[in-house]
Amino acid sequence: MAKEKDLDKYLPLTEATSYILLALTEPLHGYGVMQKIEHMSEGTVNVGPGTLYGAFSSLEKDALIVKVSEEDRRKSYTLTTKGRQILQEHMRRLEILVRNARILKGG
Amino acid sequence: MDTKTLVKHKWFWAWNDDREEAWLSQMAQEGWHLQSLGLPGEYTFVAGEPRQDVYRLDYIIDRKEYQNYLQLFQDAGWEHIGQMGGWQYFKTRMQGSRVPEIYTDNASKQQKYARLMLLLFIFLPIFIFLATRQVPAGSNIYDLYSIVKLFFSLILILFAYAIVRIGLRILRLRKK
Repeated sequence: MAKEKDLDKYLPLTEATSYILLALTEPLHGYGVMQKIEHMSEGTVNVGPGTLYGAFSSLEKDALIVKVSEEDRRKSYTLTTKGRQILQEHMRRLEILVRNARILKGG
Repeated sequence: MDTKTLVKHKWFWAWNDDREEAWLSQMAQEGWHLQSLGLPGEYTFVAGEPRQDVYRLDYIIDRKEYQNYLQLFQDAGWEHIGQMGGWQYFKTRMQGSRVPEIYTDNASKQQKYARLMLLLFIFLPIFIFLATRQVPAGSNIYDLYSIVKLFFSLILILFAYAIVRIGLRILRLRKK
């Protein structure tokens, strides 16, 4: 596992980045990612093609995702080990946040 | 039946690209749909039914993966009409009440302007050099050169102004 300090550089993830990484737990191309996010987020998050294209290049540069194939000018990406670790750490922190926020609901 | 076309010439400032988008949408509402882009500042419209279309401009420098870039936009429902000096013109239909966007967060929208800024900074030293170069007084080309120098000085001022305006645009997005 990478040092926590290294992970800190990328955390917290924005809502859009969280969903992009979550969608890429299986290999998908750009439009597939957009559709999956729309579905997963129950319509609360919408990622435009300009935003997604930029996110793909920076996430690939930071080695959080990797290209697995290219078909008809559509590149498919999936998470790297590093990307998976960052996503897991992000989720761990979110769960703590949600646990604390439940107090509000119960009180 | 002949298809009617209309050619318009128009400039826009890089920091006012949203006004350009609004103008193209307005034209579509009046039944003139952007068909192609020719020489810098030349727009060809084709007559048709008035429609509520959304136009968006993107700016890119890196062309290594241009085809992949266009494919992604096309898959997402954006038609690429053409390009003009690095500006990419896209359009899509209105869907319900939500206005479709190519950039759905501030961070990525800022990056678009950051790319423009980068280009200005690449050319800036060239114009500083051309505008400040000294030619010995009394040489034959002196008079001609002072005119050329004035020209480059004006471009330099325009560059500086563009950098300020685009910088302000980025700051405004950052504050949102």
